[in-house]
Amino acid sequence: MGKFLLLAFRNIFRNRRRTLMTLMMVGGGVTGLLLAGGYFAFMTHGLREDTINSGLGHLQIFTADHFNRDEVRVLDTGIANWRDVAATVKSADHVRGVAPRIDFYGMVSNGTKAAGFMGSAVDPDAEKSLGFIAHGLTGREPEGKPAGEVEAMIGAGLAKSMNVKLGDGLTILAMTSDGALNGVDVQIVGIINSGIAELDARTLRITLPAAQRLLQSDRVTNLVVGLDSTANTDAVYDELIPRLKNLPQQMTLKKWIDLATYYKQVSTLFNGIFLFMGIIVFFMVLMSSVNTLLMAMMERTREIGTMLAMGTPRIWVVALFMLEATLLGAMGAVLGVAAGNLFGILLNSSGLHMPPPPGYTVAVPFKVLHVPALMIGSSILVVFSLALASILPAIRASRLQIAEALAHV
Amino acid sequence: MNPADKGEVEDLVRVESVSRRFPLDHSYVSALSRTSLRVAAGEFLAIAGPSGSGKSTLLNLIGCIDKPTEGRILLEGVDTSTLSPSRLTALRRIKIGFVFQTFNLIPVFTAAENVEFPLLVQGVSSSERKARVATALESVGLSARASHRPDLLSGGERQRVAVARAIVHRPALVLADEPTANLDTRNATQLIDLMRDLNRSLGLTFIFSTHDQRLLEHADRIVRLTDGQVVSDTLTNAASSKGDSHGQVLAACV
Repeated sequence: MGKFLLLAFRNIFRNRRRTLMTLMMVGGGVTGLLLAGGYFAFMTHGLREDTINSGLGHLQIFTADHFNRDEVRVLDTGIANWRDVAATVKSADHVRGVAPRIDFYGMVSNGTKAAGFMGSAVDPDAEKSLGFIAHGLTGREPEGKPAGEVEAMIGAGLAKSMNVKLGDGLTILAMTSDGALNGVDVQIVGIINSGIAELDARTLRITLPAAQRLLQSDRVTNLVVGLDSTANTDAVYDELIPRLKNLPQQMTLKKWIDLATYYKQVSTLFNGIFLFMGIIVFFMVLMSSVNTLLMAMMERTREIGTMLAMGTPRIWVVALFMLEATLLGAMGAVLGVAAGNLFGILLNSSGLHMPPPPGYTVAVPFKVLHVPALMIGSSILVVFSLALASILPAIRASRLQIAEALAHV
Repeated sequence: MNPADKGEVEDLVRVESVSRRFPLDHSYVSALSRTSLRVAAGEFLAIAGPSGSGKSTLLNLIGCIDKPTEGRILLEGVDTSTLSPSRLTALRRIKIGFVFQTFNLIPVFTAAENVEFPLLVQGVSSSERKARVATALESVGLSARASHRPDLLSGGERQRVAVARAIVHRPALVLADEPTANLDTRNATQLIDLMRDLNRSLGLTFIFSTHDQRLLEHADRIVRLTDGQVVSDTLTNAASSKGDSHGQVLAACV
């Protein structure tokens, strides 16, 4: 076996120029996949952590009726005894904290103009303890005021639409849980530019007590659970499910991935693009290698005839050609992985930025992650492609008529 | 004596009324026509004839790397026409050694590795391979060149490596197709002496095609072909008195 492997290895270098070209093609394919895949991984990983840390959390608890609720009277299906629920959840392993939230809708007015908003009410201390950060914030996040003053943070688009700036006042109107219209004056303490224009045109945030006064309810819409690591999401989910069953209200527990619609869309898009690229690389390597390997087979016709004349089993000839192609693929993969990582390091230190994606207003840094699974997957792809490409030349070589092969010039 | 009539000796090779025709467009070319031949073990037999007379075709048929259109060939009494491709492969692997006009060494292997290859194919153990390769290379006087690749060897040396490769697995029959055609006189003479010595010392049966008069002078028996037919089959006086320069070394091969 050792000699056979040696023969295959040495055969690879018989035509060095051709081997170099093949290695460059295979290595280039792997490098391209690693850079593209590494960039996609950077984007999805960054988006995932951004999504979680910007307020989604790792898990969210709702009442079981929440997803069938009336869009106007939002707290009818809210969590009534949310402090007890939060205490139950906090005692689980890996839980860093629990933040109550109210999602509500209403109108905002500056006296001359009104617009709809999507409001969220938060407990500022709980949010801070979980490290939830509002990216692109000018000013500060709203805080609770003892005198009944209400602070608000609004989206940049909404601020522009209402023609307000930091320190200005607005009136917000929303439907209470009894169905009455209630209003409260707020002072703008923060303007947020999240990068998503549609969101910034509707966003409004106030504190939880202010929202409960506005909506005339002690309930909250949901509880956001922050963990020590995203990797523990499934484990904590499994631990919390039985705990939530013993509560007076029937609860529903959702993982972040179930709520991150945008993340899933982006991830699916990237996966689709990467799969398409993988298919292109696979067939590029396959088609060009078939031709190269057929040429190599033709050049060695007499040698193959000699081996067959000496009683070499035909399956050995097949195995030899496939082994050569596989070795060539493996060498190309190693070269590609090395080049991909090197280019990745260079790109990461270059400070390059990509233009803002659709719906975004900020440029995205061009960085690639070094993902071992990508390196292994890309390598297997090209090795498999070359092994597949060698089947036709290998079978043709093994089926040579010995006498004709020996007479081949 | 007509060599074909020596009934008391068991035939190593028996060619019985063999024809070989090759298709050409809508017709065919006849390379051999109803040729018969019997070769005993230990013979040093030359197949002579002009180009196109069917020498190589006959060797290919005896070597089981081609199939006759008609007739049959027996090797040690076994009718090769009845054997499956895999059994023919096994037969070649064990019973036959080949020497080619153009040497046909594997260029990426060293001389020793080329000689080792038939043993590798036979599944001989590593230690035994090593010993037998050393002996075979010593028998052809190339121990010092064992680690050289073919492109660093002269034509004569390459052909001697090819001979070592042909005998290393101790075949019953060595077939050599124009073995001296690509060699100068000095190398050709050395090769002829070598093959002759191997024939005598090991009792190896050699069948070679040639139109090289130097080689014919050393043959025990010369079969002449013309237009695919045996026109003469004669014994010569060459069998008796040639030197035995490799004898001692070759004894170790047996």
